[in-house]
Amino acid sequence: MTLRDLVVVRLGVAVNLVVGQVAAALLLPVYLDTIGTVLVATLVGPRAAIVAGLTSQVLNAVLSGNFTWLPFGVVQIVIALYAALAARLGAFRRLGTAVAAGFGLGIVAASTSAPISYYLFGGATAGGVTAVTTVLRALGAPLPVAVAAASYSTDLLDKSLVFALVAVVLRSLPRQMAVRFPMLAR
Amino acid sequence: MALDAATFAYPGARTPALLDVSLAIEAGTVTGVTGAVGAGTSTLLLVAGGFAPRLTGGALSGRRDIATNRIGIVFATPWTQLTGLATTVRAEVAFGPASLGRPRGSVLAACGAALRDLGVEHLADRDPASLSGGELQRVVVASVLAMEPELLVLDDPAAELDPAGADALYALLPELARRGTAVLVATPDSERLARTAERVLVMEGGRVTRDGPPAAVLDDTDVARIARAAGCPAPYPLDVAALVARVVR
Amino acid sequence: MIGYVPGASALHRAHPYTPLAIATGLLLMAFAVSAPGAVWVVVAAAALFAASAGVLGTVLRPAAILALPTWVLLTILHGLLGGAPHVMLGPVAFSVPGGERALVFGGRLAAILLAFLTALATVSPARLVEAMTARGVPFGRVYLLVSTLTVVPRLRARVRQIVDAQQCRGLRLGGSPLARLRALGPLVVPLVLSALAEVDEQALALDVRGGTARGRRTALEPPEDSRADRAVRLAVLVAVVAAYAWKFLGAGG
Repeated sequence: MTLRDLVVVRLGVAVNLVVGQVAAALLLPVYLDTIGTVLVATLVGPRAAIVAGLTSQVLNAVLSGNFTWLPFGVVQIVIALYAALAARLGAFRRLGTAVAAGFGLGIVAASTSAPISYYLFGGATAGGVTAVTTVLRALGAPLPVAVAAASYSTDLLDKSLVFALVAVVLRSLPRQMAVRFPMLAR
Repeated sequence: MALDAATFAYPGARTPALLDVSLAIEAGTVTGVTGAVGAGTSTLLLVAGGFAPRLTGGALSGRRDIATNRIGIVFATPWTQLTGLATTVRAEVAFGPASLGRPRGSVLAACGAALRDLGVEHLADRDPASLSGGELQRVVVASVLAMEPELLVLDDPAAELDPAGADALYALLPELARRGTAVLVATPDSERLARTAERVLVMEGGRVTRDGPPAAVLDDTDVARIARAAGCPAPYPLDVAALVARVVR
Repeated sequence: MIGYVPGASALHRAHPYTPLAIATGLLLMAFAVSAPGAVWVVVAAAALFAASAGVLGTVLRPAAILALPTWVLLTILHGLLGGAPHVMLGPVAFSVPGGERALVFGGRLAAILLAFLTALATVSPARLVEAMTARGVPFGRVYLLVSTLTVVPRLRARVRQIVDAQQCRGLRLGGSPLARLRALGPLVVPLVLSALAEVDEQALALDVRGGTARGRRTALEPPEDSRADRAVRLAVLVAVVAAYAWKFLGAGG
């Protein structure tokens, strides 16, 4: 990684943390704490995005004190690889394809996080998701189903929104800035 | 440092930011660069310091010879120039020499000397995050000086400083030159340039349009404007001392 | 509330890697055991860890705040909605296996929170940087872990500026969830663009200060790594390996 890539990764991590806090402060039903990771994937590439995702996971734990999130670092790796692939395939060129690709990532991310949540934490992890899980369970759904359904509903909305926002950012990027990121040209 | 017919274009740009510039900077001198926004002064500094195209991308044509690899650069805004790793000013300033793996004593000596040069020794134990913009900018300059650069380029380094702080910083530049550093400073601040630089380049549209001692090329300091309005013949005196000397004569 | 708490305990004076190793060890132990009693022994060990650093009082409050909502949900999810057999606690039927599960998951949560909040309270960031530098940890890793934390407050201040500016132009942050979602674009886009505009200057500033230098950096005040430190870390390693060996081999044989 070059020094400049490193600076971009630091920026991505900071964006993850800050936008995640903004989403929480606005009481939105989504996390948005992977915008920076996806952005780094589109600007620099998969390796840098993985580093950004894992660093975000650690620093999120340090800042919030909630270290139970650490095992979900695996999800960050999946997100980084998926986003880089989506960028390579040109998914961010149009808003529609970006949202569709984000929807796909929602499925992949939830499929990764639901088992972690179920096996390591008995389905009780992040606040909003757990509330949905509990309601579904009270309605009679078996626990694994309830955990999965809760994860999917949140992740689908969250990741679609993240991809849409990144697509908008990339489109607003001035030309002289965009040309500095060779990943974008592909 | 020497440029011969250097032309540089940023990646994706249709027109070059620097056009056919030839220039030599000697050790022990202060050279000033001035021009309107977009005239190419910042680009000239990046090319002269060897940072463009190495770190910015783009294409450079013409010849460039840089006789040293100890090059420092200072920008206007202090926040972007901090490492973010240090919880004390001393650690921030020591970061550079420590990165080179120099022994502890030599790192601390370089750090102490740089803090003294900028008059910020009293801040050594403070957290950089607790400093004002002006204090921080002086810490940033100290951090670059701690690397003991042989070529120092500064891009409007006093933009965030109060007048006294700016005066102190510009007064330091000839002192650094006396110690053998080649100093290249860009700023729209003609008054201070007139006082510190022995040679000034004026840029327009990526070209150097004028090149010479301040008195010969600068005509837009306050005193010069007054002198011109008063019908004084060119070259105009640039500061009060020069005006007085002219009138007395 | 959360962060480094200056102190003079042995853990404060220890090499920064030692409290981190103990916290990691406690996390791994919490997942190595699966009986409710054993999990809560790990919780007790984590509390002891906090107490020995003199920060139990400081970390208990954030740990409780973080754990309580999840505990409540676990109790409902597993205790009230769990399978048979049930015991009657007054008017409610409480699942026995569900209750045990809730104790296990709730205990793991408590152990992890106590362990890492204690590590956070005892490891000074400046000493950790020195320790990593002295160990020759690659610059990039140190940079990302430490320097990002100084960028966050500045970025947050910029969010506030952007919100103010956009509110002047009529942006509303309240209203329905959909309206709040719509407010995100005008907030996120300028934030990211302005941050990207600074990338080159930051990279240049690091470059002239040896950011790309290879070889070991000089640590100005490297923390001492004593024999006791190394012994403690070795003991943690041995305990964790033994616990997992017991879990996967012992249980089968």
